[in-house]
Amino acid sequence: MADIDDGTSAPAEPLDLVRLCLDEIVFVKLRGDRELKGRLHAYDSHCNLVLGDVEETVYVVEEDEDEEEVVKTVHKKSEMMFVRGDSVVLISPQASP
Amino acid sequence: MENGANAGDGRDPSGFLSEIIGSQVTVKLNSGVVYKGELQSVDGYMNIALEKTEEHIDGVKKRSYGDAFVRGNNVMYISAD
Amino acid sequence: MASQLLPLELIDKCVGSKIWVVMKGEKEFSGTLLGFDDYVNMVLEDVTEFDYEGNHTKLSKILLNGNNICMLIPGGEGPASE
Repeated sequence: MADIDDGTSAPAEPLDLVRLCLDEIVFVKLRGDRELKGRLHAYDSHCNLVLGDVEETVYVVEEDEDEEEVVKTVHKKSEMMFVRGDSVVLISPQASP
Repeated sequence: MENGANAGDGRDPSGFLSEIIGSQVTVKLNSGVVYKGELQSVDGYMNIALEKTEEHIDGVKKRSYGDAFVRGNNVMYISAD
Repeated sequence: MASQLLPLELIDKCVGSKIWVVMKGEKEFSGTLLGFDDYVNMVLEDVTEFDYEGNHTKLSKILLNGNNICMLIPGGEGPASE
């Protein structure tokens, strides 16, 4: 499992993919139906992240008058945020729709 | 990740992983979300890098990603397709 | 002193035979155990995944994360089918 990191583009280990995202826009999926889109300023091996110009989307399930479940999306914007690694599910370079 | 008895022939976990690097896999998370893609790499935490990834929730395709990093603690299994 | 079988030795005896895996939470797997490591991550072949809704999914070969395993039953064929 101890692949040698030759510093080229092909990721020898998964976190190399995150390293290649530094200073780029990333899409991050978090536990609890939350998503982030922002510029990756820093990360560590726990997947703690520092993101700038972040747009956060939260999916909330609510019941309407007929007691039917509707998924609402809530958007929030932040200039800078720290994300604790244990809530990270997925990181993908470049935002997807 | 080593188990002495039969290491490296695709039977123990690390052997299986090196065998399936580069091939099409299905990764299921504990939440039930499924990612299908080409396996680029895995590490000892079961962090996974996938290429040409599709996200399936309740059997419905939701998103696709060029590259995706999946944090290992969420992974339930990796299946060779 | 009576010889005792360590838990991981019991699992080692299951290599090559059918095993039933009960996860934390409502999920179970049955399949042939090909190998495992110190974390009890397991490689299983000819796997059936049993859902909490009663669905079965067939998988040819998987690496199952040991983190969420609750119980291992040697020779088990999974929950009584149908």
